[in-house]
Amino acid sequence: MMYIKDSYCISPQKTLTDKGISEYTQHEEIKYYAIEPDYSKFIPNSILRRMGKSVRMGVGAGLHVLPPSTPIDGILMASSNGAIEDCFKFLNQIITYNEGTLTPTHFVQGTPNAPAGQLALMSKSTGYNITHVSSGLAFEGALLDAILLMEEKVVNTVLLGAVEELSECHYVVHDKINHFKKEGVDANLLLESSTEGTVYGEGAVSFIFSSTPTESGVRIVDVGQILFPDQDEIIKRIIHFLDKNNFTPQDIDAVVVGLCGDTRYDHRYIHLINEMFNDQWIYTFKNLVGEYPTSAAFATWMSDQLLKGNPLPKEVEFRTSKKQIKRILIYNHYFDQCHGIILMEK
Amino acid sequence: MTQVFVTGMGIISALGQGVGENLNRLQKGKSGIGSAKNLQSNYASLFPFGEVDASNEELAKMCASSTPLGRTDLLALIAFEEAINNASLSNEELSSYDTAIISASTVGGMTDADILYSDIQSSSGSSSYIDSYSYDAHLMNIIKKYKMKGFTATVNTACSSSANAIMLGARLIKSGRVKRAIVGGTDNIGKFTVNGFNALRILSERPCMPFDKDRSGLTLGEGSAYLVLESDEIVHNKKIYASISGYGNTNDAYHPSSISPEATGIINAMNTALNSAKITAHEIDYINAHGTGTENNDVSEMKGLTKVFDKIPPFNSTKSFTGHTLAAAGAIEAIFSILSIENGELYQSLNFKTPMDEYDVLPILEHKKEQKINHVLSNSFGFSGNCTSLVISKVI
Repeated sequence: MMYIKDSYCISPQKTLTDKGISEYTQHEEIKYYAIEPDYSKFIPNSILRRMGKSVRMGVGAGLHVLPPSTPIDGILMASSNGAIEDCFKFLNQIITYNEGTLTPTHFVQGTPNAPAGQLALMSKSTGYNITHVSSGLAFEGALLDAILLMEEKVVNTVLLGAVEELSECHYVVHDKINHFKKEGVDANLLLESSTEGTVYGEGAVSFIFSSTPTESGVRIVDVGQILFPDQDEIIKRIIHFLDKNNFTPQDIDAVVVGLCGDTRYDHRYIHLINEMFNDQWIYTFKNLVGEYPTSAAFATWMSDQLLKGNPLPKEVEFRTSKKQIKRILIYNHYFDQCHGIILMEK
Repeated sequence: MTQVFVTGMGIISALGQGVGENLNRLQKGKSGIGSAKNLQSNYASLFPFGEVDASNEELAKMCASSTPLGRTDLLALIAFEEAINNASLSNEELSSYDTAIISASTVGGMTDADILYSDIQSSSGSSSYIDSYSYDAHLMNIIKKYKMKGFTATVNTACSSSANAIMLGARLIKSGRVKRAIVGGTDNIGKFTVNGFNALRILSERPCMPFDKDRSGLTLGEGSAYLVLESDEIVHNKKIYASISGYGNTNDAYHPSSISPEATGIINAMNTALNSAKITAHEIDYINAHGTGTENNDVSEMKGLTKVFDKIPPFNSTKSFTGHTLAAAGAIEAIFSILSIENGELYQSLNFKTPMDEYDVLPILEHKKEQKINHVLSNSFGFSGNCTSLVISKVI
C-alpha cells in the first residue's frame, strides 16, 4: 500500500492551497495555462531565470512537498514531453546559427530528467532517481515503479511528481493532426462538443507517498495499463484489474474519467460508464485543466481531495450518486493509444 | 526467490548488426569509431563518431519496415527483432499480458532536427515525422507492430537510461507482476546531440581515450540493444546467457551535468548493486566501466572504484569501440558484459597509453581468453546525477 502523505498541485485552476478548489476558473480558450505560484521562496532567482517552464513547475511543485536539504528515499518524475520548449529552442539555435557556437543551457535544461536531478540536488537526496517519459502512461509507469520500491522495502517515503508544459511548438505540430479544437469553447460546454480535437492544458503535481498509514488514510491501491485496445478489451481488462484486487464494479463509489470533448475518442468513456458503472459518481477533470499526457496526475490529486472531503466545483460532477465515496477508479486515455487505470481508496 | 535470466539479445552498433558481428570486433580489438558517413552536420568531418555503418534506407531494409521511420526507431526495431528471435518468442508470448516492454531514449527523434524544424514551420498538413520526436515513438512502433499488451514504460535518466530499463524489467519480474520483460534502449547520432555535446565542449577530436591521462572528451556513438529477461519459472530448456542479479540506482546530487569529485552517486550505485546481488566487492571478476573519456567522468569513476574495491578487478570501457551511445549504452554494455561471461574472455580497452596522474591503475590492455568470469559490474552514469550499476552473473 502506498499512502498519500502530502501533495501540491499547479494547474489551470486555483489549486495552490491544496484544499481542493474553492473558486472555479472557467476557461473559454483552446490553451489552458497553469496558474503558477511564487517560486522565489524556494528557488534562487539566478537559477529560476535559467529554468524553462516545465523544469520550473516540476521543481517548484516538488519543493513545496520536499523543502531544500530534506533528503527523501527516492525521487520519481513523470513527464512525457519534458522540457520540450527548451528542446525546440535548442533546435532553433542549431538551424538559426547553422550549428555555430551555441550555449548548452537549453540542451542541458531540455533533458527530461532535469527536474528529478534538480530536486535531488536541492533536497540532497542521493537515493533512487528516475524519470518516466512514456507518452500518456508516464505517470502510471512512475506510480507502479514507486509501488515496487515500497514492496521491495527499499524506501519508506518517495517524492513522485508529474509535469507537462504547454508548448507552442507542440501545439503547432499537433494541431496539424487535429489534436486541438480550431476555436475556443466554453469549458462548461466542452464535454458536449460536437467537433474533433480537445483543449490543451498543462500543470505539475507532486506527491509524497509513504509506506506507513497517514492521517487521511488515502492510498493508491493499484495501477494498470491497457495498450491500443478495442472496446471489449477495455471492459475485460478493467474487470480483471478490479478482480485482481478483490473488487467488483459495485465496490467502486466514483469513477473519474478523462472525457475531453473530442468526438473521436470520448465514446470510450461513455461506453465504459454505461456498461459497468450505472450508479456510481462520475467525475471529469479535463474541462478544468485541459488535455496533456500526464493529466492522470491531476485526476489523482483531485481524487485525493474528494476522498478527503475537500471542496471541488460542481463542474466536475458528470453524474451524481447516493454512494458515499471511499473508493475511486480513475480511467484515462491519451488520444486512444495508451489507457491508464488507477485505483484509490481511504 | 525469483531469478531473472537473460534468454535473448539483440544489438546494432558501430561494431555491426547482430551479436555475432559485435563479438567478432570485440575479440579482434577493432573499433567502430571513424568518420561519419550518414550524419548531416558541419561537425561530421571535425569529430570522429561511432556511427552505424548503414544509411536509413539500408536500415529500413534490415527490419523490413514499410512505413517511414526515423533512424532512432529503425535502430530500435532491428535490435528488438534480433532479441525476440534469439529468445524464440512466439507472437502469443509477445502479446501476452505477462510480457512487459521497457525502453529508453535520451532525445528520441529530436535528432532529426531539420525535418522537425521544417515540419513546425510549414503550414501544410501532417508529415510522417510528426510524432517521431517523442521519447517513446520508437517503442510505440514496436508495440503496434507486435501487438504488445503488457506493462510498458520508457525511462529517461540521460546516459544511464537503458541500465534503468534493465533494472525496472528485472524488478517487475521479481515482483511477480510479469513473467518476461524485453528491455533496452536506442539513440542515433544527429544534429541535436552533436551540437549539444559540442556546446558542452566534451567531444573529443580524437577517438575517445577512456582512463588515459591525455583523454580529451567523449566520442558520440549510436546504436540500440534489447535483452529478453525471463523469470526462472518459464525458461524451461531455453538457453540462458546470464542472470541480472543486482542493481543500484542512485543520484549524485551534485551538479546538472557533471559528477562529483567525491563520486558519491557512483559509490552508492555500485554498493547498492553489490548488496542487492548479495555478493561482496571481491567477487566481481570484471567491470564494464562507464568510461566516457571525459576529464570529469573518468577521474570520478576511478575515485569510486578505489573506494569500493580494495583491489580493482580487470576493467575496460567498451565505449572505446562503440563511442558513447547515450540511452543505448547501458543495454549495449550489458550485452558486452554477457559476452565476456559466456565466452570466458575479456576485451581490451582501446586507445589507452598513459595512466592518469591520480591513479596508477590500468584498464585491460589486451584480449584475454580462458578467464573465469562469474560476476560482472556494469556502470552507467548520466546528466542530472543519475548513476546506475548492474550486477550480471553467470548461471551455473
